[in-house]
Amino acid sequence: MLKRELKVNFKGYLIWSGVTILMFLVVFLIYPSIINGPEADSINEMMKMFPPELLKSFNMDLASIDSAYGWLKSEGFVFILLIIGCYAGILGSNILLKEESDKTIEYLGVMPIKRTSIVLQKSLAGVVYIIGITAAVGVFNFIGLDLSGDFDKKQYIFLSLTPLLSCVPVFFVCMFLSAFAHKTKKMLGISLGLVILSYVFNTLSSLSENTEYLKYFSVFTLADIRNVIINISVNPLMIFISLFIDTLFLCMTIIRYNKKELV
Amino acid sequence: MNSILQIKNLTKYYGKTLGVKDINLELDKGEIFGFIGPNGAGKSTTIRSVLNLINKTSGEVLFEGKTLDKNDTDAKSQIGYLPSEINLYDDLTVKQMLDLHEKFFDKDISQRRKELTDRLKLDETKKTEELSLGNLKKLGIVLAFMHEPKLLILDEPTSGLDPIIQQEFFNLLTEEKQKGTTVFYSTHILSEISKICDRVGIIKSGRLLKVEPVKELIDKSLSYVTVSSKHCDEIIKDLNIEPTAAENNTVIFKNTSDADTLVKTLAKYRIDKLYIEQASLEDIFLHYYEQEG
Repeated sequence: MLKRELKVNFKGYLIWSGVTILMFLVVFLIYPSIINGPEADSINEMMKMFPPELLKSFNMDLASIDSAYGWLKSEGFVFILLIIGCYAGILGSNILLKEESDKTIEYLGVMPIKRTSIVLQKSLAGVVYIIGITAAVGVFNFIGLDLSGDFDKKQYIFLSLTPLLSCVPVFFVCMFLSAFAHKTKKMLGISLGLVILSYVFNTLSSLSENTEYLKYFSVFTLADIRNVIINISVNPLMIFISLFIDTLFLCMTIIRYNKKELV
Repeated sequence: MNSILQIKNLTKYYGKTLGVKDINLELDKGEIFGFIGPNGAGKSTTIRSVLNLINKTSGEVLFEGKTLDKNDTDAKSQIGYLPSEINLYDDLTVKQMLDLHEKFFDKDISQRRKELTDRLKLDETKKTEELSLGNLKKLGIVLAFMHEPKLLILDEPTSGLDPIIQQEFFNLLTEEKQKGTTVFYSTHILSEISKICDRVGIIKSGRLLKVEPVKELIDKSLSYVTVSSKHCDEIIKDLNIEPTAAENNTVIFKNTSDADTLVKTLAKYRIDKLYIEQASLEDIFLHYYEQEG
């Protein structure tokens, strides 16, 4: 079952990883010409015009975009979090529901396998691929940065792990929600909406004190990139909360799935 | 204990819509039980409730005397299911699908798999999405039979099969019956019921109307009677029947009472002519449907 799930989702994994890596490949190819070109100074001048709150929300107050690593720390990880978040959301909402949508659940449901086992094996396959895409993008960017010049390797390794803290919970939350649905189409919109809304909350929360409370409604708060950049470490509390959300939603999915009408 | 499957007071509502109500059935080991009814009568709802694919509103299903739970893998490994509409993994070839199926079971079922694929002439190289309806059905049959279950639940099993494979399928069922396998055979094709089933359950609008041995149902329950007599009106009153036709001192009616009652009642009057014709299974089926409104 696990082997089958890994096989079924492999194509999706390749596409998402490939597109993300391609995007960063383009960045690594064009970035040297931008930072060495005449526009570099004007970009820095333009950055100074933005309000500090806005720069803070994209971590631009901590990193200058005059190097590939600087860009990656600020805007680059915005994309990484969003892309892996969307991938995790889609994977989470599809992994159980696809059986119902394709009507193969009528076959799987009568096989001698417990529903809990179905959820666990599919969850494991999903987590493997989220780790897989994080690792693929992380390794590719590591090589790209290494070829582009000097960078803080320890800080980068911690940074490249941060998507796991927010995206694995996205996967489990979306999988739980999918246990209430019967069609994948509807769930796809819900999961993507959830990821984007969560990201918007996270961005808004750093814009002013009035909106700070929004961070409690966003799983992207768990990525805690600012702390990693400043302290070069991952906050154990974030790891704990992330694992707690994963476990909680996995357990709730198992309970719900055991009660669900499958056809 | 001779029963393998017991369905007790099974009721299923979809919201406020009735699926099935108070279904009570007991299947004996080694019998082929026909479950007949038109589309929407509740056949698939009953089957899906038994298999725990949908939740029962109330009632209980016992397999070998034990509640059939959705997570009881031992019991599930003893059941083979052929759905009316077969949906399998499109990305797999027939061989890969059969390999996957084998892995769900703890025992070696490769020998039986080979026997069945050879017998049904199933091409294992094709992808399941490329299979015709008939070949998909053949694959479904192999999947349902190959782990040698004690109970086979078949929902419209012959749809899409050509007559030669249909005959092969009936032979296969007969052999399974001889081995002691119980078959729950859901269909709307009456000829299949009379051909292979031991007992039949008739379902209409979610309610089980009658459960009876097929032979008894055909032999006893319904006959068409033609009586010519000057006392037709009295006979009608006496038997409390509604004639299907009446003219010139001749009445034709459906008789549902036993032969003894019929003969004793008619013996009270002078009868000029009497014809008793046995109803076909089709007539019996239609009779129950008309009777229940």
